[in-house]
Amino acid sequence: MVARNFGHALFCAMITLIISYPIVGFDLVFTGLSLELQQVEAGTIAGILLAVAAVFVFQLFRPAIMGTLARLVGLNPLANRPPMEQNKRLKLERGALTIIVLLALIWPFMASRGAVDLATLVLIYVILALGLNVVVGLAGLLDLGYVAFYAVGAYTFGLLSQYLGVSFWVALPLGALLAALFGFVLGFPVLRLRGDYLAIVTLGFGEIIRIVLNNLTSITGGPNGIGGIPDPTLFGMEFGRRVKEEGNASFHEVFNLPYESVHKVIFLYLITLVLAVFTLVVIRRLIRMPVGRSWEALREDEIAARSLGLSRTAVKLSAFTIGAFFAGFAGTIFASKQGFISPESFVFLESAIILAIVVLGGMGSQIGVILAAIAVTILPELAREFSEYRMLIFGAAMVMMMVWRPQGLLPMRRIHVQLNRLE
Amino acid sequence: MKTSMSKLAAGAGLTAALMTAGPAAAEIRIGIAGPVTGPVAQYGDMQFSGARMAIERINANGGVMGEELVAVEQDDACDPKQAVTVANNMVNEGVRFVVGHLCSSSMQPASDIYEDEGILAVTPAATNPAITERGYELIFRTIGLDSMQGPAAADYIIDQKPDRVAVVHDKQQYGEGIASAVRDNLKDAGINVVMYEGITAGQKDFSSLVTKLKQANVDFVYYGGYHPELGLILRQADQAGLDAQFMGPEGVGNEGITNIAGEAAEGLLVTLPPSFDEQEENQALVKAFEEKGEDPSGPFVLTSYAAVEVIAEGIRQAESEDPFEVSEALRQGTFGTPIGDISFDQKGDLESFDFVVYEWHSDNSKTPVE
Amino acid sequence: MFDEFYFLQQLINGLTVGSAYALIAIGYTMVYGIIGMINFAHGEIYMIGAYTSLIVITGLAALNPVWLPLVLLVALICAMIVSSSMGWAVERVAYRPVRGQHRLIPLISAIGMSIFLQNYVHLAQGSRNIGFPSLIDGGFTFGTSEGFQTTISNMQLTIFATTLVCMTLLSLFISRSKTGRACRAVSQDRKMSSLLGIDTNRIIAATFVIGAALAAVAGLLLGMYYGSIDPLFGFIAGLKAFTAAVLGGIGSIPGAMLGGLILGVAESFTAGYLSSEYKDVVSFSLLILILLFRPTGLLGKPEVEKI
Repeated sequence: MVARNFGHALFCAMITLIISYPIVGFDLVFTGLSLELQQVEAGTIAGILLAVAAVFVFQLFRPAIMGTLARLVGLNPLANRPPMEQNKRLKLERGALTIIVLLALIWPFMASRGAVDLATLVLIYVILALGLNVVVGLAGLLDLGYVAFYAVGAYTFGLLSQYLGVSFWVALPLGALLAALFGFVLGFPVLRLRGDYLAIVTLGFGEIIRIVLNNLTSITGGPNGIGGIPDPTLFGMEFGRRVKEEGNASFHEVFNLPYESVHKVIFLYLITLVLAVFTLVVIRRLIRMPVGRSWEALREDEIAARSLGLSRTAVKLSAFTIGAFFAGFAGTIFASKQGFISPESFVFLESAIILAIVVLGGMGSQIGVILAAIAVTILPELAREFSEYRMLIFGAAMVMMMVWRPQGLLPMRRIHVQLNRLE
Repeated sequence: MKTSMSKLAAGAGLTAALMTAGPAAAEIRIGIAGPVTGPVAQYGDMQFSGARMAIERINANGGVMGEELVAVEQDDACDPKQAVTVANNMVNEGVRFVVGHLCSSSMQPASDIYEDEGILAVTPAATNPAITERGYELIFRTIGLDSMQGPAAADYIIDQKPDRVAVVHDKQQYGEGIASAVRDNLKDAGINVVMYEGITAGQKDFSSLVTKLKQANVDFVYYGGYHPELGLILRQADQAGLDAQFMGPEGVGNEGITNIAGEAAEGLLVTLPPSFDEQEENQALVKAFEEKGEDPSGPFVLTSYAAVEVIAEGIRQAESEDPFEVSEALRQGTFGTPIGDISFDQKGDLESFDFVVYEWHSDNSKTPVE
Repeated sequence: MFDEFYFLQQLINGLTVGSAYALIAIGYTMVYGIIGMINFAHGEIYMIGAYTSLIVITGLAALNPVWLPLVLLVALICAMIVSSSMGWAVERVAYRPVRGQHRLIPLISAIGMSIFLQNYVHLAQGSRNIGFPSLIDGGFTFGTSEGFQTTISNMQLTIFATTLVCMTLLSLFISRSKTGRACRAVSQDRKMSSLLGIDTNRIIAATFVIGAALAAVAGLLLGMYYGSIDPLFGFIAGLKAFTAAVLGGIGSIPGAMLGGLILGVAESFTAGYLSSEYKDVVSFSLLILILLFRPTGLLGKPEVEKI
């Protein structure tokens, strides 16, 4: 046994050495004009050797280590507890969500301007992730071009405000509806495709939309983007120092307050919070409705669901359209927050980050997704030294989640009824 | 160096996130906003080193109106999203003068906030004309515009009287901006522009484009964009036997082009700002940089230095720290800086900024062309 | 005016890139044929092959040798070894543990792997473009002296020849060798073949290794042909190659070859007769159209859903 393990461990260690040493152990450096190879410093080499040794030892004692690990997991008192009672679980979840929302409500009055602004960004990602969660987590359709609908929402507002002077409140539903329409139209032909083909096609769509936005310079400004997108108003009151649009009043003058620039940021934050809660509530309702049930049914077993009379296209299309709708929502808010949009905000990486949030949060679980959105957006802000490693960690985390806990950190547990087996 | 900088930025971000700090009495806070991380961090290094040096030297000479300048550094990673957060953090910190941002796409959304909040911002690097076209009072720059560089290149091309010109660009803000300016100027001068085409940045295969250029029989190609793509175009054109003169903007004039194109980079024409660090009157300053172990030759080091100087001088002349009064003063005066005597127009752009046509050589040297 | 020499030149350009796409597409198509998953990280394996060969070539250049074909051969072998090891490791770490789970799970794992590998090389070698020395120069020119002259470079010929050799070897391997036969058996019915005593785990690993080795060949060839490499260039090439695999009918090896060539030519003609701006749009649209109207591709067999 050990002898066999030894061979295997040696082989694994060799492979580790081969895949890390040439790439990490040498630097391609231009000295003057010629490309030269330089050894990296000893520390890095030692790191590689350490990694090789670690792989060797792990593979050598793999059964023992895995056994210990399994026993450790067994020691966890929470691991084998009986599943919580449904009512209790639901109550707990509702309580947790309420607390999160309440905390979010008082946040802007405690934190600084920059923190509120960052929190707005987090909320935008929460909306995006909740929307994508419907598509990926609930309906089981892997959409790699989700950012396209986000872009449609943002560009709808940008273009409408530039050409027609439309305000935020008119653009918000329009942007979301147009994104939903895009989702519907694009979804109609492609949803017949099987899972992995769908992923690639949506990826292609995402890229096509971005390239087209970039190429239509005369309409969208191409790479120059669209600037001067207005902030939201409150019943015709603007939050800027000076009123930009005629006919609008200024918030601080109406209420006779001294001008405070932070009002605008807080207002935007609160709007985003309201919309995020709206998104959360709507999706929570949808999950309990027949349409939500059919999403999950189709995800779990397509053939069984179809033989029960569910229309595959209709069910998938509803999930796709609803997901796109919320992306459009988020896009409109994003455009308003930034005041300036350009195609470079809507690259594939953005889709990947939103997907990572959904995956890390536990596909289907709303609380998990919200917490993951907060973590993924804030952690790199707090630890900027690590920001270079951010994507590396994302990638590794996605793989590890799939290997060890594909259901996510806080998996969703559906209400279910189980018949007790006869002894 | 780099870690201490990113730590600083992280520290600043954290403080900003945790508390609202008011400025102390006897100091003037100057925000420096640029990329410390991300793909263009190397340009950010230039900006930070130039601005820091200026602050040090001004403080060593007694500060501004008896007050010390204090740097507040923030990292925007050249990402428009993070730039907005950074701008808000600057407001938090009570900063009223900012040197930044580096990238046009970051400067644009950030400047909305600065203008709104009464913060005077001087960008040492963002060259997109749109930034100052919105009638803002508080936005300035100490660098030329794409719309100045385009005509400078076009003037040169017109003098050469080529028969058939192709203008190619990378479909990005910077590249397309310059390329379209070049095309328009050439057309106005009656030069025969036979091709105007975009490519995708990040692409590697230009054989079809080169074949097209060859068939169009062009003798002059202007490329708007950066060095990775032009380097490949030069190389693939050389291999396909395309015999044309190539020219590009500042974004291609660095060592990267030779590293990719090799011999094919020989003879490339580049418009660049004059090398300020080689001018005689700046030698003392260059020495100060070298003593600190920093390189003053990067394109944004001295423009950042000048941005700080201009702000300081503006405060002195306005005798006030009110950004609006300083902006008045900036629009009226002329300021002696390492990038020459500069003055601003109503939009906040430099009245003039020279670009010089250089010939690039395959040993990474360059010689001015007459 | 139709210029046949110009047309010919664009055709040659397209075929060159297309045959390299085909080499990468083999990896997608074999893996899909055998375990039915899209190996999203395959483009990164190709990129790693290109980096390795550049590192080896640079290292050998410092030793000041000698004979060019030898240098290229050594670089090729090293790149193939590193890429195959990477392919093996990726399969072992990210795919084997999730095999047999819901379709989405290996796919997400693959996307994670792709992001990881991109950033792995990015951190180790920096994000800048590195020039790749052009070791094979020269070429042949034909055409009228006053009109357009078509050039076919030695590099292009090398790419054609290498691709041809690799494809021939691969077909021989698949049809003649014992492992090749086992590969075909496993792709037809995995359970049955494991009952018949084939070590399916080994065969699946072998598929990854072969695909990765061919991707490394493409990495060296295209790195030299294009002239520079960066950590992101595998991603786009991977997408293109996947498109090629789907175009030709995923799971079919001649299909991958055909798909690669068609895609390369389509791109080249788009850039040559329309505009380079729409090159990517055309190839993605092609992919979508194929999937909509002929999801099995040109040479693929229709897949029957088994219950």
